[in-house]
Amino acid sequence: MSTWRLQRLPAASPLVSLSARLISVVLALVTAGIILAATGKNPLDLGAQVISSTFGSSFGMADLALLFTPLLYTGLAVAVGLRIGVWNIGAEGQFNLGAFAAAGVALFLPGPPALILPLMAVMGMAAGALWILIPTLARAYADVSELITTLLMNFVAALLVTYVATGPWLDPSGMALATTARLPVEVPAVWDIVHWGLPVGLILAVLLAVAFGFTRWGYEVRIGGSNPGNARYAGMPVRRHLITVMLVSGAIAGLGGMMEVAGTVHRLQGGISNNFGYIGIMVAVLARAAPLGVIFTALLMAVILNGGIILQPQGLTTQTVLAVTGLILFYAAIGDEFARYRLIRNAKPAGTR
Amino acid sequence: MISTKELSRRGFLNMGAAAGAGLVLSQTGLIRPAHAAAPLAPVKAEEALIAFGHTGPTSDEGWTWAHDQGMKAVEAAFPGIKTTYVESIPYSADATRIFRQFVSQGANMVFATSNYGDFLYDVAKRAPKVGFYECDGRNPLDNLGTYYVQHWYPTYVAGIAAGAMSPTGKLGYVASFPVPSVYSGTNAFLMGARTVNPNATLQCISINSWFDPQAATQAGTALLDNGCDVLFGIMDEAGYLQVAQDRGKKAVMWNTDLRRYGPDAYISSIVVNFNDFYVKQVGRRLEGSWTPTYELLPMGGGVDRDAWGATVPAEVAAKADAVRTKMMTEGYSPFVGEIKDAKGNIKVAKGQTMTEQELYHWNWSIEGVSGLDG
Repeated sequence: MSTWRLQRLPAASPLVSLSARLISVVLALVTAGIILAATGKNPLDLGAQVISSTFGSSFGMADLALLFTPLLYTGLAVAVGLRIGVWNIGAEGQFNLGAFAAAGVALFLPGPPALILPLMAVMGMAAGALWILIPTLARAYADVSELITTLLMNFVAALLVTYVATGPWLDPSGMALATTARLPVEVPAVWDIVHWGLPVGLILAVLLAVAFGFTRWGYEVRIGGSNPGNARYAGMPVRRHLITVMLVSGAIAGLGGMMEVAGTVHRLQGGISNNFGYIGIMVAVLARAAPLGVIFTALLMAVILNGGIILQPQGLTTQTVLAVTGLILFYAAIGDEFARYRLIRNAKPAGTR
Repeated sequence: MISTKELSRRGFLNMGAAAGAGLVLSQTGLIRPAHAAAPLAPVKAEEALIAFGHTGPTSDEGWTWAHDQGMKAVEAAFPGIKTTYVESIPYSADATRIFRQFVSQGANMVFATSNYGDFLYDVAKRAPKVGFYECDGRNPLDNLGTYYVQHWYPTYVAGIAAGAMSPTGKLGYVASFPVPSVYSGTNAFLMGARTVNPNATLQCISINSWFDPQAATQAGTALLDNGCDVLFGIMDEAGYLQVAQDRGKKAVMWNTDLRRYGPDAYISSIVVNFNDFYVKQVGRRLEGSWTPTYELLPMGGGVDRDAWGATVPAEVAAKADAVRTKMMTEGYSPFVGEIKDAKGNIKVAKGQTMTEQELYHWNWSIEGVSGLDG
């Protein structure tokens, strides 16, 4: 006589979590396919078109890489925060501020690109960190939820960028509307239109992985995130780590904004953040806040978003595609919970109850 | 060959140099001379793909709807031709991706029905065999043209009626962004209104979108709360007309006949029609004679005032229409100096007529317009 029951595990095994992730992505795509089929479209045809347009030409690959780059930064920014239990919903705003500061340097500071570009990067990071400073202090010293404060700062940042791009920094040539002049310096290209923002982002992911995996700081941050009480009891400076991590998170998003404005868009304008900050949350959650995992989930999101653009001339709207990314997150959340359980068989000795 | 870059730069310098400078650009509706570039090779209609990239949804009953009608006119004029379109393209790097997608799908001609600037320019530069057009565009290429409407003339005409129907002389404007198409609209409207209502003023609210019915409705309400009694704007839908109707005030609209949303409030609309333009340019592209053009469609040939609303008094309509007739038959322009900006500086000298180039690039508010400059 035996019975089956579910047993909750303290932590899911890595292999099970990874499979849960993959299954959730597949299920989301299948669900989207069923919905598309119901509206009279052939999902297999559309899927084949996405794959051939994305991976079948250097054109498609370059587009994909350009979409991948900002997601890498915002994904890493959110992931870093999650390591110490912080939800940085404000990557969108920090990204905008980074772009704003970098554009300001490029537009108003003359100098050789070799000097100006690093300065733009530094100012972009500083602006991103500055934008999360108030939420950071509020969280560290008054325990104010960063979920709300970082989110609200996003709207201020977006309006600030729109204001300067249509007002004081408006292109004086009159040849472009609602944007600044084209920045006189740009992040150099590594391949086709893909710029150095991509390799720098990849290197950043590796550096963060090393920092979290192999340094005392990384260890303390992880403990501080999973069990702040114990960490404090063990004498770890949890508050200091919290502040550092949040500022680093903002700085990474700010650097992403700098790369976007100086590498891809070349002009500061409203909407430059393009929801990358919010999609970065999905990227980080899907990667379970692992910096190397972010590389893969950011790429996945880029493929899906790029697929959405490819499918728009087929009559699919942006909203449909955003719904698919939402579905993936939805299934991933369910999958995560399932991965924490295992099915075990209770073999009961005969005669006992 | 005349360099168009030079010309446009000169146009700008003239504009910035306030009064006095000799303005030499033509007033024929061409904003730049046509290029001497070689035409693109002909395409058979059955093999051609014409792509449209829109800023809003085609169901907006306004701007995007009007351009979508143009696409349908192209389909009717060239049986067998293939068309494709994408709605609600954001003004971000996503726009580049969408235009690139049109090119990789094999589009022979791409119309961007709004100003996408570099996002379109960068794509056009890399696709020299595709013909591009940018509505309200600024930067030409050998394969990238520009088209827009001289909306300032019918707007001036509508402004006359609005001024006559505003007891308080306080007019309101629901703006998108502080860009030239908005400045030329606000300024022309107030100039028209002041011919009958010399103390009229125009308050503007920018909502940072061309299509956001909720924000437009809120802006309309705020303007009426502020004492305005006639609303104008540059929205792609009818939001603020309904506000004016509910509050017993008046409104002038854009793009299409929207009187059913506010029959008592409706004065008129700046109606646009791009059908003939699209059919003509696609025809040139198919027969192999297409080179980019840079044109401003004139009043009566792509833009006009709509038939007057039911509550517009006959004598008001007659007064405004007299000016319209004068513009269309005699080439009359009301945009003559002296014109001062909102800070009181003289921007157009006494007796000087603004060129079409200047009207197209108008980027400052006249005295009496508030809320757009900083």
